[in-house]
Amino acid sequence: MGRAYSTIAFDPAKCDGCGDCMTACAQAKTGTDDVARSRIQIYGREKDFELALCRQCADPKCVTVCPAGALNKDGTTGVIGWDASKCVDCLLCTVGCAYAGIALDETAGHVSKCDTCDGNPACVPACPHGALKYITTANIYNEVGDWEDLFAPGLAGCQGCNTELLMRHTLRRVGPDTVLATPPGCVPGMGSVGFNGTTGTKIPVFHPLLTNTAAMLAGIKRQYKRVGREVQALAIAGDGGASDVGFQSLSGAAERGEQMLFMVVDNEGYMNTGMQRSSCTPYGAWTSTTPVGETSRGKTQDAKNLPLIMVNHRCAYVATASTAYMEDLYEKLDKAILASKTGFAYLHVYSPCTTGWRFPSNLNMEVARKAVETNFVMLWEYTPQEGLHFTKSVDNPLPVTEYLKAMGRFRHLAPEQVEHIQKKVVENQKFVERMTEHAHVG
Amino acid sequence: MTTETLEKAVATEVPRKQKVILAEGNEAAALGVALARPDMVSVYPITPQSSLVEHLAKLIADGRMDADIVDAEGEHSVLSVLQGGALAGARTYTATCGPGLAFMFEPYFRTPGMRLPIVLTIVTRDGITPQSVWGGHQDAMTVREAGWIQVYCENVQEVLDTTVMAFKIAEHHDVMLPVNVCLDGNYLSYGASRVELPDQADVDAFMGEKDVNWHVALDPLRPMAVDPLTGGTTGKGPQTFVRYRKGQCRGMQNALSVIEEVHADWAKRIGRSFAPLVEEYRLDDAEFAIMTLGSMTGAAKDAIDEARDAGKKVGLIKIKTFSPFPVEALKKSLAKVRALGVIDRSVAFRWNCGPMYQETLGVLYRLGRHIPSMSFIGGLAGADITIPHVHRVIADTEALLNGATAPTEPVWLNEKD
Repeated sequence: MGRAYSTIAFDPAKCDGCGDCMTACAQAKTGTDDVARSRIQIYGREKDFELALCRQCADPKCVTVCPAGALNKDGTTGVIGWDASKCVDCLLCTVGCAYAGIALDETAGHVSKCDTCDGNPACVPACPHGALKYITTANIYNEVGDWEDLFAPGLAGCQGCNTELLMRHTLRRVGPDTVLATPPGCVPGMGSVGFNGTTGTKIPVFHPLLTNTAAMLAGIKRQYKRVGREVQALAIAGDGGASDVGFQSLSGAAERGEQMLFMVVDNEGYMNTGMQRSSCTPYGAWTSTTPVGETSRGKTQDAKNLPLIMVNHRCAYVATASTAYMEDLYEKLDKAILASKTGFAYLHVYSPCTTGWRFPSNLNMEVARKAVETNFVMLWEYTPQEGLHFTKSVDNPLPVTEYLKAMGRFRHLAPEQVEHIQKKVVENQKFVERMTEHAHVG
Repeated sequence: MTTETLEKAVATEVPRKQKVILAEGNEAAALGVALARPDMVSVYPITPQSSLVEHLAKLIADGRMDADIVDAEGEHSVLSVLQGGALAGARTYTATCGPGLAFMFEPYFRTPGMRLPIVLTIVTRDGITPQSVWGGHQDAMTVREAGWIQVYCENVQEVLDTTVMAFKIAEHHDVMLPVNVCLDGNYLSYGASRVELPDQADVDAFMGEKDVNWHVALDPLRPMAVDPLTGGTTGKGPQTFVRYRKGQCRGMQNALSVIEEVHADWAKRIGRSFAPLVEEYRLDDAEFAIMTLGSMTGAAKDAIDEARDAGKKVGLIKIKTFSPFPVEALKKSLAKVRALGVIDRSVAFRWNCGPMYQETLGVLYRLGRHIPSMSFIGGLAGADITIPHVHRVIADTEALLNGATAPTEPVWLNEKD
């Protein structure tokens, strides 16, 4: 896995085009106030300002096109450095860069580019509006990348599915002293338990029944506890097995405070068996058992809110998460693992299904993000001590149509059905909001 | 066991003095479980099993038994918890009956497939509906094709002793199958009688080392994928499946000799002997026989004694081990008689007879000699099978011996009680 590096981030919404950053850069790098020589350039007149700055790309085209070997990416800092002694001033790099991140400094007679001032960029503190930040994007991946990938390469998931991502990262995090339960569904369907004597997993893994995941895991965990061994019990289950036929064992294990992490990958239906309806399928959605026809316009009931039901078990930890917000997910994963040492931890991850929801396979993260931005899905966490609070609050949600229109499963919706969904989104948001108000009561 | 054979048995190992107590069958089962030292019991109450799990809970609460007790939210989870425990190396136990067993069926069928040596007492109860909470063998008989070993007890002492032995049989490396100890609801579950309690040290020596997940485990120290799909409808998939299924059948057949060995070892160490597969009672010079299962055998033996006193040459064959069906042992017993009456406490709907009768027909075929026989069904929904009922069975069977035509319908013993 590639490493993540620090970079200068720009928020155009906060920029008013004052140019203080350019002045700071020019002073730092040329000793002059000549903003034309600044390596950061802000373009635009009154609004919608754009940034011309080196992105320190992971796959830098400037480096690729340079015929002189004058540009190189530093493996430690990630910064792309320019070597004056090798440069032949051909300017091919300025053509190769799509971000105008390297340009000719006419005064100097050579190209110049941002070197992040060795990790202390002068432009960032100069911005009076906080439009520039020096951040480490996806910092979490650096740590994760050092841990062993406990899944075999090339699992047989559908193209564009985010579950493989989720499984790899979750297993990296829990580590090898884990027993993994994957009840029938997409997760074992991807080959995690395996076929005919081969397995996709490097840790102990098994098929529970669709109905008894939490109960079997509880037995495993209890026996290791009895003999004094620290073994992580982990379930990665689908929403059908958790919310429908497996709900009794899930509820029972949660009530007893069995020490495990139960992760639900919610793709809102029985997608592995051919996209049938589950109780987590949202209102109006097409599934193969809620088809669209003369007398039917998709599912006629609202989805069961399983994570809220788990909150009412007073689990040690309950959270919702989305793969479009991985850092949020990671924080929750860490907390859930910790909570599972002493009690029942439940993590509900929304997982758009490219196949069953009918959207192009390159849009998984986009659909996941839209679900959150419209409040169709809310990201929150709960502990008995702290109550429930949002981890990603959406103050100005997009209309739910922004989410619905991204998928074929909602294409048939009549205006009144859309209206119903929008109404429910608002209701659900208020409902959870009210729970946050009582956060510290319990 | 006769005095002579008992003396022979104790010549090598003298069992310690045994405490004598008064106990119901459910309590005796719980005490047997405690003696076997399981790591984990999972419980859910159901009539007439409830007092059994209450006794277990109390034994653990009082510190007389060191086991993790899981009060699961239903029988389905009860057995699932134990499957997990066993896969992590635990010796495990539970008990259920009737509707509870029906609810448990999904993990129940899977348990022998994973070769998990779980012991499960069925405090037998009739099948609903019609609604009934009373005894009958319909629950255990309904699951007789699910791959579990099933043994039936005649009295409370046999319940206690068989419960301990069940763990040894289940965990035998040539068997590795779960065991049902079947004890009759009402008659044994609530019937109190004198029971001798074996000494813990003797039982410990009998049980030996625990080793329940040597063949399959969910253990980070031995990472493996448990029960992956046997994919495809040709080639390797079905081949793998067949290999496992054959293994189950082999384990079941291996159990026949293991059950005999374990009973012999128990007799040697503890000083009490029970017929392991088939018990014969006054059969050697008998012209005809009746067959029994479970607690009805007590009344039947008394009836046999009375019939013998009246000059009838009748004997009794009791089945203890119902699954695997003891074909060879039963053949030997059936070879001695010329007419047979079989009493069942449940029905085989498809054959309109009792299930044990249906199974015995197969043995009679293998015997290669025609013996007239008939099916009697009694003791449903807790009904008593009394000495007069058994006399009816003896009389009807004797008529077969004397040339009467066997009826095609079963005789329903309690129909007009």
